[in-house]
Amino acid sequence: MSRRPLSAVLAAFEAGAESLDDVSRRTGLDRDVVSAAVDQLVRMGRIDARELAIGCPSGGCGSCASGTSDGQAGCGADGPSGTRSGPVLVTLSLRRPSA
Amino acid sequence: MTEVRDRGETTQGYAAPPRPDATLARPRFRASRGATPSCHGDVPGAAAPAGSPVVALVGAPNVGKSTLFNTLTGAKRTVGNWPGTTVEVGRGVWPTTRAAATCDCETCTCPRQAEPVTFTLVDLPGAYSLDPASPDEALTRELLVDVEPDELPDAVVVIADAAHLARSLYIVAQVRELGLPLVVALTMNDVARHRGIEIDTYALAEQIGAPVVAVDPRRRQGESNLAAAVLGVLDAERPAPRAVDLPGHDGSPCGAMCPLADCGLEDLELADERFEWIDGAVHAGTRDTGDARRVRSDLIDRFVTAPVLGPVIFLAVMWLVFQITTTVAAPLQDALDGIFTGPVSDGTRGVLAGVGLGGTPVEGFLVDGLVAGVGMLLTFVPLMALMFLLLALLEDSGYMARAAVVTDRMMRRIGLPGRAFLPLVVGFGCNVPAVAATRILPNARQRVLTALLVPFTSCSARLTVYVLLATTFYPRQAGTVVFAMYLVSILLVVAVGLLLKSTLWRTMGADPLVIDLPPYQLPTARLTLSVMWQRLKGFLRTASGIIVATVCVVWLLQSIPAVSGAGFGEVPVSDSVYAAVAKSIAPLLSPAGFGQWETVSALVVGFIAKEAVISSWAQTYAIAEPASEREPGQLGAQLHQTFEMASGGHTGAALAAFMVFLLAYTPCVATLSAQKREIGLRWTVFGVLLQLVVAWALAVATFQIGRMIW
Repeated sequence: MSRRPLSAVLAAFEAGAESLDDVSRRTGLDRDVVSAAVDQLVRMGRIDARELAIGCPSGGCGSCASGTSDGQAGCGADGPSGTRSGPVLVTLSLRRPSA
Repeated sequence: MTEVRDRGETTQGYAAPPRPDATLARPRFRASRGATPSCHGDVPGAAAPAGSPVVALVGAPNVGKSTLFNTLTGAKRTVGNWPGTTVEVGRGVWPTTRAAATCDCETCTCPRQAEPVTFTLVDLPGAYSLDPASPDEALTRELLVDVEPDELPDAVVVIADAAHLARSLYIVAQVRELGLPLVVALTMNDVARHRGIEIDTYALAEQIGAPVVAVDPRRRQGESNLAAAVLGVLDAERPAPRAVDLPGHDGSPCGAMCPLADCGLEDLELADERFEWIDGAVHAGTRDTGDARRVRSDLIDRFVTAPVLGPVIFLAVMWLVFQITTTVAAPLQDALDGIFTGPVSDGTRGVLAGVGLGGTPVEGFLVDGLVAGVGMLLTFVPLMALMFLLLALLEDSGYMARAAVVTDRMMRRIGLPGRAFLPLVVGFGCNVPAVAATRILPNARQRVLTALLVPFTSCSARLTVYVLLATTFYPRQAGTVVFAMYLVSILLVVAVGLLLKSTLWRTMGADPLVIDLPPYQLPTARLTLSVMWQRLKGFLRTASGIIVATVCVVWLLQSIPAVSGAGFGEVPVSDSVYAAVAKSIAPLLSPAGFGQWETVSALVVGFIAKEAVISSWAQTYAIAEPASEREPGQLGAQLHQTFEMASGGHTGAALAAFMVFLLAYTPCVATLSAQKREIGLRWTVFGVLLQLVVAWALAVATFQIGRMIW
């Protein structure tokens, strides 16, 4: 069992893990735990997760699978849509400790 | 029954007595236990007797919380599978019995015995955690954490999704830290079983420190066990808040063993500790019986994301997509072309002749302009539909996620910022939203660089021109030709990116990037067709909007004479203003092998939108060749002739140069507008110059080298 799972997931991202399966392999954490950890890190603002799509729907951002629940633009939304079936891009953003 | 519609807003019977200042009213569970049923309106029923225990239902959205609430209370509340179903706090009466004994089976139908018991059931808004990130979560926190102790519920039932247990356990960890009587109700057990996850509720309960009960509210299973568990925790002593042994935190206010809330930990440390607890609970309480889908996915991924084989497979898949698209769609395209150049054109002429407009400029505009231009573009509908369908199938199957990993790896190797990958991928669909997507880049330099690279990604509008030329000149290898253009596009992005990075942005760093790989799945017809239709609709919208406008302007310019002595619409196109403008630019493109006014004029029109290249060709050749008026659809032969004449017989080289130019020069005015908005006028102008220089240099190099071969 791993100690400090969230820190381990962040460290795996920093070390260049390319997918959540890769994170799971590197940390020894269950895939479900890794997925939940990523959700938690997104909620905490430690990482950023964005939907990838090949193109945009003609109906505009409001009809996009990566759009937010309030119909705002998906490209750059604060998190992937729950209806996604495509890839989700996760970028790591380390929060600097406040002075 | 009562409810709170929003934070601070109470309805009758809920908070008594009403406060003079409504804004100060706080939501409470038991302002009047057993109050008169009222409020919600959609849930009529009896009130719980005074003093009935209050049980709060807590859980993330989409875990079946509202379904369980409705099952237990008999309420008729709207239940749906979308986030935020429970946006209000609902209250209901849960009548049950204190059974003489409980059984272990989830499908228990044992006869209820002994005394009836009634709970007041409160359905709290969906929340992933008690750290509020939305008004819903803030309200849930307020009702569980911030209320006065005597306002707390008597017991909390956390609904957890058995198929995504770890995701549901964070709020369980937080509720355990509150020291409230807790029961965990596991839903989605059938989904978990289907995924090969077996849950040992006893082991999980031991690890969590609270009873765990499997329920299936849709089939009304597990209700009596849940009731028994709730009665059990109500009868037992109130549990102590979850304490934790934190190495290195002996200096915390309460020593090494302390309730988490009092430890003074930073948010990451605190969340880390909770996840350690979650990890332990998942390990103890679940057994993965071998998710076949995941194992199969891993096996496939070993090949499709391999460093060398992955890109090869990706290229092969994309080649196959273009090959299938061009081969299958070709007969349909020919049939549609026949319809527009035959019956539709003839019918329009007949109608116009019937109303006395035959042979007039009106006939020229409608037949040679609108029908020829828009009709030609519409012949591409089957092709675009097929390509969108194949791409949607790849996306829905999960393969596109792998393609993203493969492409991203390549981008990172050349040092481009990781996040820039997103707008560039979007750019292959349409450049306009791709430029807008550069907003996600945190660094201004990265935004400018990526916005300058986006126009080099080959959007679907350019695909129509590639296909027209490829099917005209190389009908048997059309798919390969189109595929080659996409390869050139990728290489251009890489080359220009490296060029700019080694000159203007030498200090720009790259962000780490991770891509979630969902398991492969069989694509669903509904989702695939829906995605295809959305994209096809976009294509049709362009064809019906901007192309009609362009056709009108082109027709107007082709009707205005550039020579003296002729009237409006009385000159051949070669003597029109349209041709005169193109002829003045044509010499610049002669070194690239396509310095004929017919091709240059199409490129000028293509500045507005790439779909307009085709419609303008159709207009030009339909009018310029009056001898072939019976067959104005013979666009291919006329294009052959034009390229052959312009290139001195090196048609293949000139064609390649033209397609490279088309790929690299400014995509459309809408993209320019988006660029101006995102990176300013100065960089937009720089981008246009960069695109024109790159396009011209590459086209000339392609032709000059190509003429030695072709």
